[in-house]
Amino acid sequence: MASLANFSTISSSSAAHLSSIRNSSSNSFLLTKSSPNSIKLLSTPRQCFNHRRLVLKAKANSVIDAPTTSSIDGVSDSPKVLLEVKDLTAKIADSGSQILKGVNLVIYEGEIHAIMGKNGSGKSTFSKVLVGHPDYEVTGGTVVFKGENLLDMEPEERSLAGLFMSFQSPVEIPGVSNNDFLRMAYNARRKKLDLPELGPLEFYDYISRRLKIVNMDTNFLNRNVNEGFSGGEKKRNEILQLAVLGADLAILDEIDSGLDVDALQDVGEAVNELLTPQKSVLMVTHYQRLLDIIKPKFVHIMEDGKIVKTALMALRVNPQWHPD
Amino acid sequence: MAAAASSTFPAPCHHLPQLHQNHTKSLSSLFKPKSRTTNFSIRPLSISPKASLSDPFVLQIAETLEDSNSSSSLKQSPILQKLRESSSESILSLSWPTRKDEPFRFTDTSFIKNSQISSISPDPESTLIDFESDGDDDTQTPNIVIVDGQIVSSLSKLDELPDNVYVGSVLGIDSDEIREKVMKFVSNFEDKDLFWSLNGIGAPDVTIVFVPSDCFVEKPLLFRFYSHETSEIGSSNLPMSNPRVLVLVEKGGEVGIVEEYLGGAEDKCYWVNSVMEVLIGEGGKVSHTYVQQQAPSAAHFKWTSVRQESSSTYKLVEVSSGGKLSRHNLQIQQVGPDTITELSTFHICVRDQTQDLHSKLILDHPRGVAEQRHKCIAAHPRSQVVFDGNIKVNRLAQQTDAAQLSRTLLLEDSATVNMMPNLQIIANDVSCSHGATVCDVDDDQLFYLLTRGIDLATARKSLIFAFGTEVMSRLPCDSLQKKVERHIQRLLDPTPS
Repeated sequence: MASLANFSTISSSSAAHLSSIRNSSSNSFLLTKSSPNSIKLLSTPRQCFNHRRLVLKAKANSVIDAPTTSSIDGVSDSPKVLLEVKDLTAKIADSGSQILKGVNLVIYEGEIHAIMGKNGSGKSTFSKVLVGHPDYEVTGGTVVFKGENLLDMEPEERSLAGLFMSFQSPVEIPGVSNNDFLRMAYNARRKKLDLPELGPLEFYDYISRRLKIVNMDTNFLNRNVNEGFSGGEKKRNEILQLAVLGADLAILDEIDSGLDVDALQDVGEAVNELLTPQKSVLMVTHYQRLLDIIKPKFVHIMEDGKIVKTALMALRVNPQWHPD
Repeated sequence: MAAAASSTFPAPCHHLPQLHQNHTKSLSSLFKPKSRTTNFSIRPLSISPKASLSDPFVLQIAETLEDSNSSSSLKQSPILQKLRESSSESILSLSWPTRKDEPFRFTDTSFIKNSQISSISPDPESTLIDFESDGDDDTQTPNIVIVDGQIVSSLSKLDELPDNVYVGSVLGIDSDEIREKVMKFVSNFEDKDLFWSLNGIGAPDVTIVFVPSDCFVEKPLLFRFYSHETSEIGSSNLPMSNPRVLVLVEKGGEVGIVEEYLGGAEDKCYWVNSVMEVLIGEGGKVSHTYVQQQAPSAAHFKWTSVRQESSSTYKLVEVSSGGKLSRHNLQIQQVGPDTITELSTFHICVRDQTQDLHSKLILDHPRGVAEQRHKCIAAHPRSQVVFDGNIKVNRLAQQTDAAQLSRTLLLEDSATVNMMPNLQIIANDVSCSHGATVCDVDDDQLFYLLTRGIDLATARKSLIFAFGTEVMSRLPCDSLQKKVERHIQRLLDPTPS
């Protein structure tokens, strides 16, 4: 299997990861190919994942042999499929040009996936299609998210269902303060859960605590959404939204683009901070450096609208996949 | 400026103050009837000669207005006399605008023309009417309540003003110096149109704001305009009031003026035809705020004429939402170099209504800086939005830095938007930019909000509201800003959750 073969590609950065895997006494994954380009994980030791080191700290007592044993963290032991994408095809609504040509992907609860690929391979389109961007039209295939047909849902319903995408270039919204925006979004969540909406003061309490995660001060709230923000501030603001709204699956579309090393570190750590054993992440990136901070379990390579390769774990991606 | 003034009104300028002084200071009341008689004679003189050439509808309004003013014996002052005289003169050559007249090409005034215009008899008892403030905390601000064009002193608070600043009726000026200046500048404006002149005839008083040299008026002056005399919807009668304010800021003076036009009862019909003249001396600064929230069936005409001397600053923030027909004529004339002019206006139509801004900025001197932003929301299928924004950069206005941007949010297919942004540039060393957009809510912004779980209706509403905040955030004080924002929010969403 091509994906497993990549294990042997050892680089300095992945060596440590591999060694920690080897140290696990029963680091057992069973991988089968459910469809030509996707990997289905039948059983995972997710309950052992530490949220900071999701991939690497799989421990022995889990669990291919005894899938029904009680979990260490009290999490249900049977792995749940969070997102299942089958043969997804999509085109640009205006021009009609086909971008996605049959994407297959399965993400289980608690997994971190990364999609890499050259410019124009369809990575960002895939993210946008998942959140229902009106510029794209799905022409075939299915997407099931938490057991429901995602493609039937409006963008706001997808969000309320637990799907979050951080935008590659978040739009500026003059006239809407960050605080009002976040409160609106947060209250939409609460409304969905039949909880009373938070007034400005209660929300301020809540948001202040969240701000610390992304290392921002409260001035940030008074500014208009993304207006005049630097590249780094925009990305932080995306992660702040993730922190406020929470998500079962966070799609991070090139969260690393335009960031310097320190900012990247900050953003990456903020994401790690937010991860829990149930939360999943799908990263779209060009760069290895992000994978060094938020460590994925799977890396998918996208090419011409399809996922052509999937590698398990901390591989060093071949230089040919670096587009720049 | 002095030259321009004296060439426009050569003789009466110097002659009349003299008269007035005699009456008020030395002569007994015996002389007053005499002076009144003189004034009465103006009316037939001014209107009858060329009556046959004039528009009968216009003459009818003018006569109605004159009658109401001449019946008030107390309101005689040479300044008012001069104002009425010059206005009466100009009215003879003016006719009611039709869609064939360029300035009213897109603005339908037939609803006024089909009404019977009545004047408002001066009613000193209107002081007793309770114009309750809308729960806002403006007690700190010096404020002037003007009902049907007349100051109601019992409701006004002016005690905090610095010495030498005069705010009040033209009749109450007790300094010859101020009186002379007012005399010189009142209605000192060349591009008079019909509504300007009708105001000149009908204004029962001129409210004067005089800020002497180097005087800084810390708190903004809040003018609240109410209409007491109104008619019921459906009645053909349309009572017309003509408030008039003259702001004189001398060299280095600084003042903030807030004009609020408040409608009160929803079901009332009236016509407010207001004029404000602003003269800013060298290095002076005027921050002008104009909030128009007239009743839905009202007609509202407004003139703002500004003259800026060298190095002066004029900043306007306007939020207009009321009335069935609302027209703002804004003209700014630069009379010296290095002026700064900043115009931010926001119009919103949420009913079958017309919001019209005709602005004209004339730059004749070097190094002027002008920035105009006009924003408009057409939120009703029968709303009409008109913007004619003219900036003239004449030959001598070198190194002018001018920018004009108008943006309209067109939310209903059948709403009408007429945008006529135009820059006329003759000077060859200037930096000027302009842009105009008419569009719906931005798709990308909308999608961004949706992806955060905000429903479509809420997302749209917040984006629509946000469109106006660029202007509303420039309102001078927080309490006013909040109040105006609440009002706009109510208009956009009459049934808040």
